[in-house]
Amino acid sequence: MSALSPLAVNDVALADVLARGDIWRGDALARLPGQCISSGHPELDDELPGGGWPCGNLTEFLVDRSGIGELTLLLPALARLAADGGWLALVAPPWLPHAPAWAAAGIAPERLLVVRAGKEAAWSIEALLASGGFAGVLAWPGSTLDARSLRRLQVAAEGRPVFAALWRSASAAVAPSPAPLRIALGPDAEARARGRLALRILKRRGRPASRPLSLDLDRSGSRPRALAGPALSLLAAGSAAAAAVA
Amino acid sequence: MPLEALPLRQSPSAVVARGRIVVCDTAARAGGVAAGQKLSTALGLLPALRVFERDPVREAAALDELACWGGHFTPTVSLQPPAGLLLEIGGCLRLFGGVAVIVDKALAGCAAQGWTPSWAVAPTPLGAWWLALAGGGVLANDLPALDSLLAGLDCRVPPWPAEVAARLESYGLRRLGEVMQQPAAGLRQRIGNGPLDELLRARGEVPDPQRLFIFPERFSSLLELPSRVEHAEGLAFAGHRLIVALCGWLQARQLLARACTLHIGHDDGTQSALALRFGEPCRDEARFLRLLREHLGRLQLAAPVESLRLTADETLLSGGDSASLFAEATAGEGAAACVERLRARLGEAAVQVLAPVAEHRPECATRWETPDFRRNSGFTAAGGGPADEPPVGAPPRPLWLLPSPQPLGEHTDGPHWHGPLQLLTRGERIESGWWDSGEMRGEMRGETCAEIPATGDIRREYFIARNRQGQQAWIFRDATGWFLHGLFA
Repeated sequence: MSALSPLAVNDVALADVLARGDIWRGDALARLPGQCISSGHPELDDELPGGGWPCGNLTEFLVDRSGIGELTLLLPALARLAADGGWLALVAPPWLPHAPAWAAAGIAPERLLVVRAGKEAAWSIEALLASGGFAGVLAWPGSTLDARSLRRLQVAAEGRPVFAALWRSASAAVAPSPAPLRIALGPDAEARARGRLALRILKRRGRPASRPLSLDLDRSGSRPRALAGPALSLLAAGSAAAAAVA
Repeated sequence: MPLEALPLRQSPSAVVARGRIVVCDTAARAGGVAAGQKLSTALGLLPALRVFERDPVREAAALDELACWGGHFTPTVSLQPPAGLLLEIGGCLRLFGGVAVIVDKALAGCAAQGWTPSWAVAPTPLGAWWLALAGGGVLANDLPALDSLLAGLDCRVPPWPAEVAARLESYGLRRLGEVMQQPAAGLRQRIGNGPLDELLRARGEVPDPQRLFIFPERFSSLLELPSRVEHAEGLAFAGHRLIVALCGWLQARQLLARACTLHIGHDDGTQSALALRFGEPCRDEARFLRLLREHLGRLQLAAPVESLRLTADETLLSGGDSASLFAEATAGEGAAACVERLRARLGEAAVQVLAPVAEHRPECATRWETPDFRRNSGFTAAGGGPADEPPVGAPPRPLWLLPSPQPLGEHTDGPHWHGPLQLLTRGERIESGWWDSGEMRGEMRGETCAEIPATGDIRREYFIARNRQGQQAWIFRDATGWFLHGLFA
C-alpha cells in the first residue's frame, strides 16, 4: 500500500474496490457477496470462501465411486436447509433414495423432490435453479452436460438462494468449468481403514488450496462396534423356528 | 359482436339477418358494403364477400364467456343482450388504482381475446350503455357530466321503438337534451311512459337495479377456431382466450383451480382431451398459459383441430391471501410452478416426492407421492414434524437403495464388492412379508403401469460393510447368498 500513497485519490478507490465481495487478493479467500451455508464441518468451512457452501453458485463434486461418504458430507447443510422449510430436489439420482434414511438425517421426505429426468437433465436442473423456489438442488447429470449447458446452469443459479451441487465423474476435472467451487472426493489413501473422506479443492475463489482435507464423517453405523457374537449367524432360511423368533 | 362471434371468418365478410347486412368488416366496408344494405346489393358491390347468417346462440355463448372474463374486474356483472356487458366498477376503483387503469386493462383484455368493444364509463348503467351505443370512448365522472354528455346524444341512440324516435323528430326534438327540456307530463301523454322512465334512469334520477350475471356453477367454455389448426403450438392463442375467461370466473367465484381439461375437437368428429394439473391450486393466468404451452409443445395432433373446450374439473375455495409487507427477495416462478412444468414435460411419474412407510422390508419402506405444496406451508407453520423421526437407537439405513439387490461374489474371506468387504456391524435380521408372497402389484414406471412381482416374503441378515476403496455398502445374506442392497453414500 505504501507504494500507492502518492496516488492519494486512487488510494481510496482501491480500498473501495478491495472491499467488494467479488474481488479478492491472491493470498486470501474471497468473501462472497451471496450467502453461504455452513457445511457443518469446521475444518472444511475454514477452507471454503465465505465459510461454507456457496448459495447461488454451482458447486461441482468430482467423484468416481459412490458410497464413500460423498452425500453424507452434505447432509448437515441439507438438514439445515430442510429445517428452514426449504424444498430440496434430486435430479437424475443414480440410485433410489431410501426415505427412512433421509428422514433420519433430518430431511423431510415430503419436501424432497426426485426428478427422473432422463435426457432432459440439463433442462430440468436449469428450470429448478431458475424457479427460485428450491433451497437445494443436487444433480447427477452424467455425461449429458457440455460446457455451454454448465454456463447456463451457473447463470440460472446466480443470485438465487439455492445451493446447487453437481456430481460429475473425476475425469471432468481436467475440463474447464464455470463453477466457482470444484471439489474432488475420494477415499483417504492413508487412513483408508478408518473410512475417512479425502477432499481436494480443485478450484475456489481465493488462493489455491495446498493440501487435501481429510474428514471423518459420521456415516450412520460406520463406527465399528465390538462384536459380541458371531458376525454371521447360520441361516436356516426356510425354518419355521426362525420365523417364529422374528 | 355478431361478426366476431363467428368461427371460420375470412376477410371480407359480413353477417346478414333476414336478407339484409347487419354488420361487415373493414375490408367489406372499403368495398362499399354498409349495414342495412340488401344482400343482393352487397354481393353486387363485392362479389368476393363471404356472407354468414347471424347466429344468436353463438353470440350469447360468446357474451357469457366475456362475462366470465369480466369477473377479473368486478363480481357485479350484468348482461345487456344481445351484445352488451355492464361492469359495476364503483366498488373496485381503489383496488385497481383508478378508472383509467380499469379501462386500459379491460380494453387490453378485449383486444387480446379478439374483440373490438365500444365502451363508456358513467355513474348510471343505462347512461353508460347509451354512451357506448353512440360510439363510446367517453368517461363521465359524475351526474352533471353525464347529463351534458347525454344531452348531446341523438334521439335514435336509445333502443326505443322506431315510432317513438319518429314522433320525437316530428316535434322537432333530435337530441336527448331537447327531450329533457320538455315538460314531462305532456310528453308522457304523447309518447308513453316507457321512454321517459328510461331517460330518468339513465340520468340517475330513478334507481336502476340490474339483473346480475350469475357466474355458472361449473366452468365449461367452447371456442370454435377461426381456421383449422394443424400444429399444436397454434392452439396457444385460442387457449389463451379460454384461460382468461376461466381466470375471470375463478376470480368472481373466489375459487382456485387444481385441474382443468382442454377438450380438443378434431375436424373428423373425434375428440381428444389434454389434462392440465397444477402443483398447487391457483388462478394465475400467466401460469396457466405457461403450463399450456409446455403441454402443447409435446402434443402431437391426430387431426386438424376445429374447436376447443376448456372445463374446470377440480376447484376449491380460495382462502384469500395476504400480500407480503416487504417485497419478497426471491425472483422466479416458485417451486410449485416449476414442478408443474417439470411434470408436464417429463411425465407425472417422473417427478415425485418421497414418503416413508412403516415397513420392515427396505424395498417397501419408501412410497412415491405427488408433491403437495399446500401441506408444506401448514407443516412449516407447525414447526416441523417430530412425529416422523425414527425411534432412538433404530438401526442405520442407507441413503441409496439399489432398484433390486445385486448378487455379490463370495470368497474364503467373505463377500466381495470391488475387493473384500469388511463387516462393520452385527447382522440385523429382517424377516417379514409372508402375506404378499407370489402376488403382483402395479407400479408406475414412466408413463405406463407395469405389473411387477410384490416383494414377498424375505428372510435376510443385513450388514454394513466397507471395502478397501472406502465404499460403504448395505449388504445382506439370505439362503441364496450375498447381495448388495444399498449404499451409505
